[in-house]
Amino acid sequence: MIDAITAGLFALLTPQALLFLLIGVVYGLVIGILPGLGGVVAMALLLPFTYGFDPVATLALLLGAHIATIWGDSVTSILFSVPGSAKGLALCFDGYPMTKQGQAKRALSASATGALMGGIIGAIFLALCIPLIRPVILALGPSEYLMMALWGLTVIATFSDGSLMKGLTASVLGVLTAFIGMDVVTATPRFTFGSEFLMDGISFPVAMIGLFAVSEMMKMSIRGTPIIDRSLVREDSTVWQGIRDAFSHWWLVIRSSLLGLWIGVLPGVGASVAGLAAYAQAAQTSKTPERFGKGAVEGVIAPDATMGANEGGGLMPTLAFGIPGGESMAILLVAFIGLGIVPGPEMLTKNLDIVFSMVWIIVLANIVVTVIGLGITPWLARLPSLQANLMVPIVLSVCFVGAYATRGRIEDVLVAAVFGVVGYVMDKYRYSRANFVIGMVLAVMIERNLHISLNLYGKDFLLDRPIALAMLLFVLFTAVLPFWRARRKKRGVRGGAA
Amino acid sequence: MTHYPQRRKLLFAGAMAPAAMALPPLARAQANDYYKGKLVIINIAGSPAGGHTRYARMLAPYLEKHLGAREVRLVNMPGGGGLKAANYIWRLKPGASEIYFGNVSTLLLANLAGSPGATFDPTKFMFLGRATSEPRVLTVGAKSSIRSVKDMQAMKRPFIFPSQGTDEDFYTMAVLADALGFKLKAVTGYEGNADTSLAVIKGDGDGHITGWSESLGAIRSGDKFPVMMVTSQASPDYPNIPIVTNIAPPAKRGVVQAMATILETHRSYIGPPNMEPAAVAAFRAAVNATMKDPALHAESTKGERLLSPMEGTVQQKAMAEMARTSAALSPILKAAVKDIQ
Repeated sequence: MIDAITAGLFALLTPQALLFLLIGVVYGLVIGILPGLGGVVAMALLLPFTYGFDPVATLALLLGAHIATIWGDSVTSILFSVPGSAKGLALCFDGYPMTKQGQAKRALSASATGALMGGIIGAIFLALCIPLIRPVILALGPSEYLMMALWGLTVIATFSDGSLMKGLTASVLGVLTAFIGMDVVTATPRFTFGSEFLMDGISFPVAMIGLFAVSEMMKMSIRGTPIIDRSLVREDSTVWQGIRDAFSHWWLVIRSSLLGLWIGVLPGVGASVAGLAAYAQAAQTSKTPERFGKGAVEGVIAPDATMGANEGGGLMPTLAFGIPGGESMAILLVAFIGLGIVPGPEMLTKNLDIVFSMVWIIVLANIVVTVIGLGITPWLARLPSLQANLMVPIVLSVCFVGAYATRGRIEDVLVAAVFGVVGYVMDKYRYSRANFVIGMVLAVMIERNLHISLNLYGKDFLLDRPIALAMLLFVLFTAVLPFWRARRKKRGVRGGAA
Repeated sequence: MTHYPQRRKLLFAGAMAPAAMALPPLARAQANDYYKGKLVIINIAGSPAGGHTRYARMLAPYLEKHLGAREVRLVNMPGGGGLKAANYIWRLKPGASEIYFGNVSTLLLANLAGSPGATFDPTKFMFLGRATSEPRVLTVGAKSSIRSVKDMQAMKRPFIFPSQGTDEDFYTMAVLADALGFKLKAVTGYEGNADTSLAVIKGDGDGHITGWSESLGAIRSGDKFPVMMVTSQASPDYPNIPIVTNIAPPAKRGVVQAMATILETHRSYIGPPNMEPAAVAAFRAAVNATMKDPALHAESTKGERLLSPMEGTVQQKAMAEMARTSAALSPILKAAVKDIQ
């Protein structure tokens, strides 16, 4: 194994591979920052240019681009509440409030450092877990995915500050929106009203662009002031503060990274769920959960660490079985075939050096992204103070181009506009937009996996699936924990007063 | 009859060659010049990251050369499993230089199953040529005790089939269960082939249908075992795997053959029903020339995007034949959809 680790590293330390890695990272950062475009598009566009090159250099280009999109996505979520793609959603919850409080540099650097630490921890655990990959993947199934989605749902309470009923209403609206389109189980059209466009459902990234970005721009143009009015709020944070934050929350980073690795192993769960689950565990295990949603730096570090580690986990089913865990891994699989690499059990024995090259690519790409990210953070942090009359047309144009680019359908531009109005009204009347998207992301996943679990294992499926049962108990524990803490705190306050 | 046996295909080509040569030179020149200097739009029924797009991109420069077109522009039109692009092509006005490229079998099956999204009669499209068709294979997991169709028929419980929903593999499995006489339980809701593959390898499901290349790695590594090919012809690639059209009972062979014919239409170019005959002839000629282009063959081999062309005229005849024989498929497909609802 040591031989494979060193051989994997030396294969990457060639001028061509390092140059490709750098090109991939810079390109991935640009693609990630553009709304609607994420890692999948970044890799798909690069794929035709990869034939004929050295396998490790090709993988450095593709994986480098994919990894860089993670932080690229986070940038716009933090600065403008515009998620670059679905996985950047969780960064809007606390990253954007931090920007509004003059903490943009801190948020961006905490996000970059969190993603770096997550990526490295994920890569180390991926390397250590290689012998366990196949049995772990074979032990997990739809019931375990269901529990993961339920865990994501528990975060609804965090965003229901003031009125749980309003929080639940927003979530139900999200669930109903997710149900538009063909029913995944019975192949029956739902809420489509005979529309061909609606048969494909509402695109999640497009809805997010509308709910968060378009509605924020509507607010800004009505107010007529920038996101940050420098005469009222000074940008008084530093890049070092964010780096220190990530290191001082090392336990949160480790927990979030392992969660990301775990979710990555589950094919089809997806990075958007990973970000939400990371956010949920950060909020629920915090001693001050009431700060979440209002600019808590932990709410930025946890999702980025999880998504950084998620990439390593996502490679596991692709390498061990030749089964891509998601769309981006499907593109990687095509590249493997083009390079003459056959994923499957032999990949973990005969081609172990290539596997370790990929582990090293993840580590190096994360380091390069973070170095570039920290370097450009002071300039990026100035963007939210641009005047509204300049900012609104630029951001709205990027949003609508992004909405179109998501699926190449003009109707999606209209959907983004409609969701912009919905987001504006929800925000005005204090219905949580975050709860809306949580309902939207998790609804189909819960429906799908509950149906499969009931069909395969019967109504007592939890008794047949001990891992799922243990996960359910864990979900219940983490859901109850904040309420228990709040109650204890209240008693403490009362005791102190007496 | 889509896939003529090799000898019949040669005989057919031999018979047609003198006829083609006897065409007046002017007519041939007109057919070949139809698209000269024109813009041709290929509507790809899939996303930019999908397999149809990768094939369309590979073929486009060669097609442009052989059409003599000013530009062959690729437009992605994903949606409804290809139905959006097909509905669009169906409604085109005469004279439009727009063509559909994508999976044609899903269009045929959606129509036969009475899908509300299919607003066209697929047999009336102009079939312009197939680029590739991948044979589909039924595999079971390594843990499964099933090793043959007889084992499936002898099972005391239904065969558990993890499925995405009403895709072509779902419909195929319904036809196989009806034709070969085994009980089937389709568990729908899986996210894609990766998801159903894992379910089969884990033993959550008994087996599933995929493209041959998709399962080849798992078959070689021993994670999956091939039970039968859902094709109409044997191939040296899989000499020991039974072919469904050979093992179906005689009374059901017509239904199984119709299904295999539909599946073999796969990645094709189709035009609107009102397409001008000169345009049809020119496009078919260009697709044929493209498929014979040595540079394309070199590129397809290098990129492992293999070609298995079929001429548009052959496809069109097969469609007419399919329309006649596939009436028996419709009730089976509709019953399968009703079962999961």
